[in-house]
Amino acid sequence: MPTNLVINGEDRISTRGSMTPLIDVLRDEFFLTGAKVACREGICGACTVHLDGRPVVSCLVPLATVEGRDVRTVESLAAAGEPSPLQQIMEEHDVVQCGMCFPGILMVLTSFFQERPHAERDDIKAALVGNICRCTGYERLVDAAAALARRS
Amino acid sequence: MPASTGERLYVATSLADAVAALADRGPAGAPLAGATWIMRAPIRREELRSSYVGIGGIAELRSVEMTDDEIHIGACVTHADLIAALAGVEGCDGLVAAAGGAANPAVRQMATVGGNLCTSDFPASDLSPALLCLDASVELRTPSGQERVPLGRLLDIRRTLEPGTLVTGVVIARKPVQTGHSRLPLRKAGDYPVAIVSMAVALGSDGLIEDIKVAVGSVEASARRWPQLEAQLLGHPLDPAKAYELAKAGVGVFAGRESVEAPGWYRVQVLPTLVRRAAQAALAARQQR
Amino acid sequence: MATADPSSVVMNLPRRDARDKLLGRTRYTVDRMSPRMLHAAVLRSEVASARIIRIDTTRARRMPGVRAIALAEDAPGMHGIGIADHPLFASGVIRFHGEQIAAVAADTYEQAQAAARAIEVELEPLPPVLTMADALAPGAPLVHPDWKSYEVLFEGAARGGNVAWEATVIRGDTDVAFARDDVVIVESCFRVGRQNHVSLEARAVVATYEDGRYHIETSTQVPWTVRNMTAKLLGVPASQVHVTVPPVGGAFGQKFDCTLEPYAAILARKSGQPVRLVYSRQEEMLTCLCRENADIKIRSAVTKEGEIVGREAVVLMDCGAYGGEQIFLTTMTAHTLGGNYKLGSIKLATRAIYTNTAPNGAFRACNGVYNTFALECHTDEICDAIGMDPLEFKRRNVLGDGDLGATGQVFEGDVLGPMLDRMERLRETSPSKKHLAGDRLYGRATVVGTWFVFVGPSTATINLNADGSATLITAGVELGQGTMVQALPQIVAHELGIHPDDVIVRNADTDAAGFDLGVGGGRTTVSVGAASVAAAADVRNRILTTASELLQTRPDRLVLRNGRVEIAGIEGSGTTIAKVVQRAHQVTGPVVGSGSFTNPGVPAMPGCAAGHFIDAIDIPVFNVHDCEVAVDAETGHVEVLSYKVVQDVGRALNPRAIHGQIQGGVTQGLGYALHEEHTIGEDGCIRQDSLETYRVPLALDTVPVEIDLYEGAPSIGPLGAKGAGEVPIMNPPAAVACAVARATGCRVQQTPLTPPRVLALLLGREPAVELPHIVDNWWDNVLIKPKAQ
Ligand SMILES: Cc1cc2nc3c(=O)[nH]c(=O)nc-3n(C[C@H](O)[C@H](O)[C@H](O)COP(=O)(O)OP(=O)(O)OC[C@H]3O[C@@H](n4cnc5c(N)ncnc54)[C@H](O)[C@@H]3O)c2cc1C
Ligand code: FES
Ligand code: FES
Repeated sequence: MPTNLVINGEDRISTRGSMTPLIDVLRDEFFLTGAKVACREGICGACTVHLDGRPVVSCLVPLATVEGRDVRTVESLAAAGEPSPLQQIMEEHDVVQCGMCFPGILMVLTSFFQERPHAERDDIKAALVGNICRCTGYERLVDAAAALARRS
Repeated sequence: MPASTGERLYVATSLADAVAALADRGPAGAPLAGATWIMRAPIRREELRSSYVGIGGIAELRSVEMTDDEIHIGACVTHADLIAALAGVEGCDGLVAAAGGAANPAVRQMATVGGNLCTSDFPASDLSPALLCLDASVELRTPSGQERVPLGRLLDIRRTLEPGTLVTGVVIARKPVQTGHSRLPLRKAGDYPVAIVSMAVALGSDGLIEDIKVAVGSVEASARRWPQLEAQLLGHPLDPAKAYELAKAGVGVFAGRESVEAPGWYRVQVLPTLVRRAAQAALAARQQR
Repeated sequence: MATADPSSVVMNLPRRDARDKLLGRTRYTVDRMSPRMLHAAVLRSEVASARIIRIDTTRARRMPGVRAIALAEDAPGMHGIGIADHPLFASGVIRFHGEQIAAVAADTYEQAQAAARAIEVELEPLPPVLTMADALAPGAPLVHPDWKSYEVLFEGAARGGNVAWEATVIRGDTDVAFARDDVVIVESCFRVGRQNHVSLEARAVVATYEDGRYHIETSTQVPWTVRNMTAKLLGVPASQVHVTVPPVGGAFGQKFDCTLEPYAAILARKSGQPVRLVYSRQEEMLTCLCRENADIKIRSAVTKEGEIVGREAVVLMDCGAYGGEQIFLTTMTAHTLGGNYKLGSIKLATRAIYTNTAPNGAFRACNGVYNTFALECHTDEICDAIGMDPLEFKRRNVLGDGDLGATGQVFEGDVLGPMLDRMERLRETSPSKKHLAGDRLYGRATVVGTWFVFVGPSTATINLNADGSATLITAGVELGQGTMVQALPQIVAHELGIHPDDVIVRNADTDAAGFDLGVGGGRTTVSVGAASVAAAADVRNRILTTASELLQTRPDRLVLRNGRVEIAGIEGSGTTIAKVVQRAHQVTGPVVGSGSFTNPGVPAMPGCAAGHFIDAIDIPVFNVHDCEVAVDAETGHVEVLSYKVVQDVGRALNPRAIHGQIQGGVTQGLGYALHEEHTIGEDGCIRQDSLETYRVPLALDTVPVEIDLYEGAPSIGPLGAKGAGEVPIMNPPAAVACAVARATGCRVQQTPLTPPRVLALLLGREPAVELPHIVDNWWDNVLIKPKAQ
C-alpha cells in the first residue's frame, strides 16, 4: 500500500514496504541524501529529521507510521537557498570537518533553539547527547551555537 | 480490515481497531508503539515478527489525565510528552527525571511509556523503577476484557502475556510523596544506566518516614523493589548517609547481571551510592515545595 | 626576489566545502547512486578458524534479484604490507570470525543479503588462537602454516610461526647498564585493547566496469593503494583500475588500506552493472581495521639523578589474522616508546603476532598512542622509585639538540624542553580546576610525546588558467581534516601571488594525478604540500619569463602579488597574471607546472635497527599535554576537568583549522583513554558490535582544550609546516592514566579507564597485568640472535 507523506512541504507517495525505515525512503527513493545513516540504532543522530515539527531519528521510524505527516529534512533548512542563521554561524566559525554529523546536529539544534533560544553552553551540550561527531570534539561547534544563542 | 492488506505493519486508528487487529493476528502479531526497540531487531540479530499493529498514533492512548486522586498515563505517551505533562507535579520529580535522563532528545520524542515497560528483554528501563516506587498499576486490554495489575506483576508476566494483550495505560495514585531517581550511565552522557535506584518517600510532620518505596533497575533482568531496605528505613528520618550505610550492608540481596558493558559485581557495588543520591534528590524535591 | 607576499600564507581561511556540507548537499560515496546500480552484500564466517570443505552457490544464484556472485577463484592474488599474506576471500581456510567468504550483487540490498545467507558453506572447525599469549605458547596452532611460502615485499625482518614480523633496535649495551650498581631497575607491564575509528561514513564503494577498465569511486585515504592492490588481487594490470574519491566522511586511518573495493569491482565486471557496497555499522564494528590491542613490558635502569642508562622493552602487537598495517607499524615503537627521552642504551623488540581474530589496521598516531601511554606511566613509576618529581625528570631527560634517538638518529633543535616551559606558562595563566573535583579524588599530570610526519612520494600538477585561477591536481583526499580545502590552496596561492579562493583543488583521481602514498600520518600538508610548492615554483618561473618579456623587466625584479605581476617596489606598474597567461598562450602555450617530492631520508646509526621500514624519522612532531581529572571513588567515574596542549606545528598556516584538529584528536584520545574498547569473546567474535556497547565520547564527555601552538621547530615541510592533524590523539591516554594514577594512588596498567575498571583498582580487585609470555631475558623474546662478539 503506498504511503502519502509531505516532505519539505511537498506531497510525496512512497511505494516502499510499511516497515521500511523512513531514512531509506528519504535517501533511496527520494534522493534526499542530506540525512545520513551511520548506526541504525538511534545513537548517532545523523539521520535526524523533523516529524510534525519534532526531531526524530528516522532510522527507527517505520514508513507506515508517517502516513499523512509532515517530514522536514536538512535540505529544508535553507529557505530559498539562504542558509539558516544556525547554518551560517557554523560556517562562520569554521567548525565543519568531514561534515557527516552536521545534518543531524543542525536538525536537533534547530528545534532545540525554537524552545530555548537563549540556551547556555551546557544545555546545548546536553541537547546533543544523541549526536555523535567523531571529528570535531564538539566544543567549537557548541561555541558557535552558543554564539548564536547570545545573538538572538 | 487489517490482515487483508498483507502489509507487515497495520496502523490502527482507534483502540478498538487495535484490539481487533491484534486479535486477528494472534501470536504472529505484536503491538508497535514508538518502534524504537522493534526497529533495532536486526542489530540484535533478531527476526522481525511477521506482523505489527501500530498503536503510537491512537489519540486515546496518548493523553495524561490528572484528577485529585490519580494520574492516568496513556500507554503511547512518549517520554517527551510525559515530561511536559508532569514537570512540577508533586510526587513526580523522580518520574520526570527518569524520562528526561533516558536516551536522547530524538528518542524521547518517540519511545513510549508502554513500550518501555513491555520490552521484556530490556533490563535498563528507567521508567520501570520510577513507576514501581510510585506503586503504579497497569491497565491491560485483551479481546476478552480489561484488567488492572500492579506494575511489578506486569514485569513478572510480560514475557508470557496472552497474544493480543495491550497495555493501555499506567495509573498512579496521587500521594504526598517525594521522589528521587538516580541512574548511573558509564559515560557522562547518554547511555543506558548500568544501575538505577528510584525512591518515593512520605515524611510525617515529625520528619520521620511514614512510607517508603525503593526500586532498583538495570541490576537484574527486571526492575524490582528493595523491601528489606524499605523496612529498615521506615520510621526513621530520611538521612542519605544512613540510607547509604544500610544499603551497603544489604546489597547482598541483588545478583548483578553480567554484560559486555559492565560486570555484575559493579552494578551491585554502586547501589549504596545511588541510594544516597536518590534520597538526596527526594529531599531536594521536598525543599523545592 | 620574486616571491609572493609572505603575510598571505598564514590565515584562517574558511573551508570551501563547509556550505554544502551544512546544506546537506555534499555527495559522499554513500550518497552516490546511479540507474541500474546493484547492491552488494558479503557473506562472512561465523567461526574464527576452520577448514572450508565446500561452498555451494546453486541455491543463492536462483534467488530473486541476484546478478552476480564473487568467490575466492575470482581474486587469485594476495596482498599485504611487507608480506603478501592476505587473500581477498578466505580460500581453503577461515582465519577469523567475520572473514569474507563470498560477495553477492543483487537489485536490492535485502536481496543481496538473502542470497548471501543462502550460500551453503560446509566447514570443519579448527582450534583457534585468540590471544597473543596463546599464539606464542609452545606448540600453538599456526594461523598461517604456509608462512614461509608467502611473497616477501620488504626484506630484512625476522619472521616465523605466529610472529608475522619482528622489528628490533639494539643500541649500546643494556646488559652493562642493568648490571651497574648505581642504578634502580624499574619494570612495568601494560595492556591495551582495540580502538575502532567509527568514521560516520562507513567504508563504501561504487564500482563500474566499462571499456575494459574498472572505475572505483570509493571512500578512501589511499587512491593509489586501492588501484594497485585491486589490480594485484584481481590479477589484472594496474592500468585497468581507475580510482576517484568523493568527499570522505571521516577516516582516521581506517581507510588507509584497500578493503572492500575489489569485491565491488569483481561484481561490477561480472554483472556489467554499477555495484554499490557499503558496510553496515555492525560489519564496521566486527571487522574494522582497529588500532590493535597490545601487550607491553618495559624495564629501565635509572640512576638516582634520573639518568636513563638502559632500557629494554618488548611490544606485542596483535595484527589479527593477517599482517596488514601492523607489519609496518612495528617500526614505530623505536620512535615513540623509544622516543621522548635520552637513553644510554636500548634494546627494543616489536612483534606483530598473528591470531585468529579480525585484522587490525592504522588509526591516527597508531601504536604511538599506547606506546606513549606505556612510556609515560613507566616514567612516573621510575620517578616514584627514585623519588624525583616527574616534571623535573622530564626536563632533565627530554630529547634536545644533538641528542640521539633510539636508532641513533641525531635530533635537531631544542623543542621538547622549551615546550615544557610553554606548558608551565599555560598552567600558570589558566587557573587549576581542582575546586570542581569537590569531594572526589583529584589528580593532574603533564606528559610528553614524540610522533612524526610520514613523508614519502607525492606529485602535483598545476594548470594556470587564462582567467588567472590555478587548478591543482594531486592524489590528495579531503577527509574532513581540511588540508585540501585550506592548507594546499593557501600554499599554492602564496607561491603564485593569487588568492586561495582562486586555487581550484581537484579531487583525487588516479587517471589525472600521479602517484601518491595517500592521506595519513599527517603527510598531506607536508608531502603533497611540498610537491605543490615545487609545481607552483615551476608555474611561477613560466609566468615570470613571459611577464619579463611583456614588461621589459628582468624576472628577478618582478613580484607576484594580488593576482598581478608587479615590478618590485612600483605598485600598479605591472599587469594581471591573467594577461600574462593569455600572452603565454600565444608565445609558449598554456602554463602548466609540475612538482614531485619524496622524503630526503635522515640517517640512523648503521646496524641499530632491524626489520624497520623507517630507520629514522624525517620530521619529528612533539607534544606536551596536561590534564586534570576527578575520580569518583564510589563509582569509578573519571571526569576530565581541564585539558591543555602545547603542540609542535612547525609553522601554523591556518591556526583555526589546527585548533579544530587538536580539539577533535584530543576528544578521540579521551574516548580511548576512558571508554572505547573492543574485546574478543570466546568464539573469536568482537563483543562490542554496536555503538550502544562501544562508547565514543559525546558532547558532554569532552572539555574545551586550551591550546598553545609551538612554532619554529625545524621542519623540511613547505614553509616550515608540519602535519598537525594526527598527533593530538597521541597523549590523552597517557595524560589521563598518569593523572588517574596520582588521584587514586593505584598503578594503572590498562586502558580504557572505564568506571568498572577504576573502581576495581580502588577496591583492589583488579588483577595486576603480568604478561608471562614476555620473559625477563630480552633475547628470549626475539627470533634474532646476538651477533657473536
Ligand atoms: C539510543 C536509545 C537509547 C535509549 N536509552 C534509554 C534509556 O537510557 N533508558 C530507557 O529507559 N530507555 C531507553 N531507550 C528506550 C528503550 O530502549 C526502548 O527502545 C523503548 O523504551 C521502547 O519503547 P517504544 O515505544 O519505542 O516500543 P516499541 O519498540 O514500539 O515496542 C517495544 C516492545 O514493547 C511492545 N509494546 C509496545 N507498546 C506496547 C503496549 N502498549 N502494550 C503491549 N506491548 C507493547 C512491543 O510489541 C515490543 O515488543 C533508548 C532507546 C534508544 C533507541
Ligand atoms: S542512523 Fe539513525 S541514529 Fe544513527
Ligand atoms: S564533522 Fe565528521 S563526524 Fe562531525
